[in-house]
Amino acid sequence: MLRSNTMRHRELPLSADSSNLFLKVMISIAVFLFAVTLAGVLSINSMLVNWNSSILGSLTVQIIPVNGVDKLKAKNETIVQEQRAVALLEAMPETQKVTPLTDAQLEQLLKPWLGDDVDLSNLPMPRLIDVKLKKGAEINFMTLAEKLATVAPQASLDNHKLWLNKLINFAGGLKMLALSILVLVIGITSGAIFYSTQTSLGLHKDIIEILHLLGAKDTYIAQQYAAKTALLGFWGGIVGVLFAIPTIFVIAHLAQQIEGGIINEAHLSWGGWTAILCLPLFSMLVAMQTAYYTVKRTLEKMM
Amino acid sequence: MSNTPIIEMENVSIRYGRGPEVLRNINLSLQRGSFHYLTGKSGAGKTSLLSMMYLAQKPSKGSVSVFGNNVNFANRNALAMFRRRIGVVFQDFRLLEHSSAFDNVALPLRVCGMDEREIRKRVTELLKWVEIDRSTSAITSTLSGGEKQRVAIARAVINRPDVLLADEPTGNVDNDIAPKLMKLFVELNKLGTTVVIATHNENLIKEFRYPTIHLKNHSLSIINPEDGDEYAEI
Ligand SMILES: Nc1ncnc2c1ncn2[C@@H]1O[C@H](COP(=O)(O)OP(=O)(O)O)[C@@H](O)[C@H]1O
Ligand SMILES: [Mg+2]
Repeated sequence: MLRSNTMRHRELPLSADSSNLFLKVMISIAVFLFAVTLAGVLSINSMLVNWNSSILGSLTVQIIPVNGVDKLKAKNETIVQEQRAVALLEAMPETQKVTPLTDAQLEQLLKPWLGDDVDLSNLPMPRLIDVKLKKGAEINFMTLAEKLATVAPQASLDNHKLWLNKLINFAGGLKMLALSILVLVIGITSGAIFYSTQTSLGLHKDIIEILHLLGAKDTYIAQQYAAKTALLGFWGGIVGVLFAIPTIFVIAHLAQQIEGGIINEAHLSWGGWTAILCLPLFSMLVAMQTAYYTVKRTLEKMM
Repeated sequence: MSNTPIIEMENVSIRYGRGPEVLRNINLSLQRGSFHYLTGKSGAGKTSLLSMMYLAQKPSKGSVSVFGNNVNFANRNALAMFRRRIGVVFQDFRLLEHSSAFDNVALPLRVCGMDEREIRKRVTELLKWVEIDRSTSAITSTLSGGEKQRVAIARAVINRPDVLLADEPTGNVDNDIAPKLMKLFVELNKLGTTVVIATHNENLIKEFRYPTIHLKNHSLSIINPEDGDEYAEI
């Protein structure tokens, strides 16, 4: 796009514009924020992938036995709720197979804990339903728990998974927030470039008029702005990334000290680091495009 | 097609802002290869008339056509292409003050993307001809008025334009170089360039006899050298 001879000869003394320092600092801060936020988004993503895979595939629904004076009636009620839960689970499009465990299977499971001699038929036995999910199917545990409660008040979902699901929802929200910060940062920076470019065009009105009168097309002028602003974008990006890298390490270090090993699952892949290291190129492109577009748009309003 | 005027104005009026009309209902048709002086008192509208020809302004009324194209209907890129064929010596030079004489003269070639080696050859040659070769790399703001004017003239003719418009081009140069610059314009005209020169220099008008576009009372009249008395009156 930029011919070598237009690169070497820039009639517009743009490198002396007083807004250059402001833009460079602004772009540095923007790229810094962008890099740290991007690291956050990518870490949350890797965390989400891990968590999702641990709650994908299967789940267990437990029907806690109904307590009643009439043992038989209570037991029947428990079984009715189990049947309703099974019906509901089978009706879901995400399920592949729903298997209520038989009494024998339950006894088998409980024997190691209770010993051989206990007569299980006299105990209020919980019922377990094993649910196999279709490949890749994702379930919202919270809504499932709510639905189950309406047909089988005694049903309860695997606690750990329920909690993990809440965490996933939270992290998902956090990720959306971070993504909107990324968009906002790009928007604000482009806006700053737009306005300083417009100011500069006004400042160099006389030279631009001469260029036009000598037959220069708008692109000739736009290229000079694009070249200058690309440089600002690149060096601003380098500074921003240089500050962002140690910051990301400090945040990662702090996060690892949180107990529970949840955050351990968050790590930045090589792809993530590459993306962050490529940010100066990205900021260069955004700066260049914005300046180019601003010049073209502004000049179109002149004769 | 060859009969199409190079520049044509039909019922052209121009005013600045809400001010009075500087020129009113102007009709003018310049044939390819013609040579005209443009005269009139200071403030008569010479620069205004030329600026519509070099496409710096559109008329407030009427239409201006260059090379057979109505500029009211031309898009920005088309206007740029027309301007490349029109060389202009501005009354106030309009040089890039912080650039060198060389870069100023090279500008019309650079905006149309000419090869830099070819540019160096052409510009060096022309600067030598207008006797600026001593200070080609000097920053323009350090040049004298006469030197600036010669740089401006060199810039106007470097691209061998179809039309040359010069707004009082001999105003600042020493009297002995004025005829030399006039000879340049005459030579270009002989090669086919259409020339219009706004001037007050009576010596030139008498020495090189060409028809005159005279501006008075917001309108225009053409006076030919044969018209004797009137011509002498200017
Ligand atoms: N940019 C401008 N804004 C307002 N008035 C102008 C402008 N340029 C010229 N004029 C007015 O138009 C009239 C003609 O000016 P000009 O075309 O420069 O005449 P000349 O070149 O013959 O001296 C003058 O009265 C001048 O004040
Ligand atoms: Mg004038």
